[in-house]
Amino acid sequence: MSLFVRRQIPIAIVAITSIVVMADYFLKIPQTGPVVKDLQNWGVILSAYALGFGAVNLFIVHTRHISKRASGQWPFSIWLLFILAVFAVVGVFIGPSSAQYMWIYNASYFALSATIYSSTGFYIASGCYRALRARNAQAVILLIVGSLALIRNAPAMAAGFPIFVDIDAWLNSVPTTSAQRGIMIGAALGAIALGVRTMIGRETAFLGRRTEAER
Amino acid sequence: MLVAGRIFALGMLIALWIFIIGCMEMAKKKLPTFRKLAGLDALPEMVGRAAEMNRPVHFTTGLGELTGTVAPQLVAGLAVLGYLSELAAKYGVKIVYTVYQPQVMPLATELMREAYVRAGKAEAFDQEDQIRFLSSEQFAYAAAVQGYAERERPAANVMIGPFYAESQLFAETFFRVGSIQLAGTARGYQIPFFAVVCDYLLIGEEIFAAGAYLSKDPMQGGSIQGQDYGKIIAWILMFVGVLLTAAGSPAIMDLLKM
Repeated sequence: MSLFVRRQIPIAIVAITSIVVMADYFLKIPQTGPVVKDLQNWGVILSAYALGFGAVNLFIVHTRHISKRASGQWPFSIWLLFILAVFAVVGVFIGPSSAQYMWIYNASYFALSATIYSSTGFYIASGCYRALRARNAQAVILLIVGSLALIRNAPAMAAGFPIFVDIDAWLNSVPTTSAQRGIMIGAALGAIALGVRTMIGRETAFLGRRTEAER
Repeated sequence: MLVAGRIFALGMLIALWIFIIGCMEMAKKKLPTFRKLAGLDALPEMVGRAAEMNRPVHFTTGLGELTGTVAPQLVAGLAVLGYLSELAAKYGVKIVYTVYQPQVMPLATELMREAYVRAGKAEAFDQEDQIRFLSSEQFAYAAAVQGYAERERPAANVMIGPFYAESQLFAETFFRVGSIQLAGTARGYQIPFFAVVCDYLLIGEEIFAAGAYLSKDPMQGGSIQGQDYGKIIAWILMFVGVLLTAAGSPAIMDLLKM
């Protein structure tokens, strides 16, 4: 495939699409509204289509695991493919909004999802244990601030020593918020610079890096 | 013609574009100097460690998708994936990219295949094994990544993109299996989790600079200098805004609402 097809056409599509979407946001041009709506719909259709790629990839990867009897993996792969088939059959033949489909979804995915989410607390606790060790000056600051936040969030301590509520509120609204905003402004500027590089075709990492000859 | 309330933002955007493109042009003559980004400089060391241990390298862009406000973070992550794939191919290390959004798969496939071709190892690239779609549901994806980490125990883990509640699950699990870790996100709430657990960290804008930093392309480097001029403008606006607001003048607020 020629370099023109592989690089220039995608870059042109990115640049034109970006300009149209930005024009719709900043300018009152009646013609851009429907175009942007269409572009968004294309995005949704492409995403749905890409899901097919994902399903095929899942099927190939797990079929391989089963055929190779991958250690510690292949029984789970059988289970995954079985569940994939159950969801596909129920979804296609009874409907994704049917009571049966919703029951399977709520009884399996919702419960498991909530379990994984709640396990975050244990991971945070172990991370916290490692973080709150006074190894250097920065770690000491982290230890002090972390301890204050812990004390404030313990109901008995907050009730007995309301000063900790005020300290925590100040920490949250002044140093934390200002640091967060600094990061946010920097990130926004970085995203704009990335956008400019992408639109003018300098940032082509998402298409594969350029060789010296192509620069 | 112009949408009310967005005029100032448009003006700022155009000013930034001028700065960025101007700096990119100037960088052709003189490359600006950059501070070192330890996390990106450590990538060869991370892949080298994986080669020594004969274990894979894991890469994820988190819950990144190509549409929406987090798309730039995903693109920034893909820039690092390309570089990392080429390194992995050269060192003969398997790199596994676990995918959350299947729409990213064609991009990642092209990107990684090209990286392997550039390294002269095209035949070593196994698309199905190295680009694995896990799930488009947040915690199903998180559980699958944790399962992958426990089973294959990668020597290095690189996470660049938008992360949410799964950030701590990933960082802790890979820490437990002994992976050396680089994490980067522009989502402020997740940065502390990564800072506590990971060996290297890219904060906010650093992930967007990663592609330019790794490419060694003077023009891309110049764009980062242009971005710094944007910071100077932001500083001036904040300083003037604080002074005017303290003096009781709503001028700066009126300007921002234009």
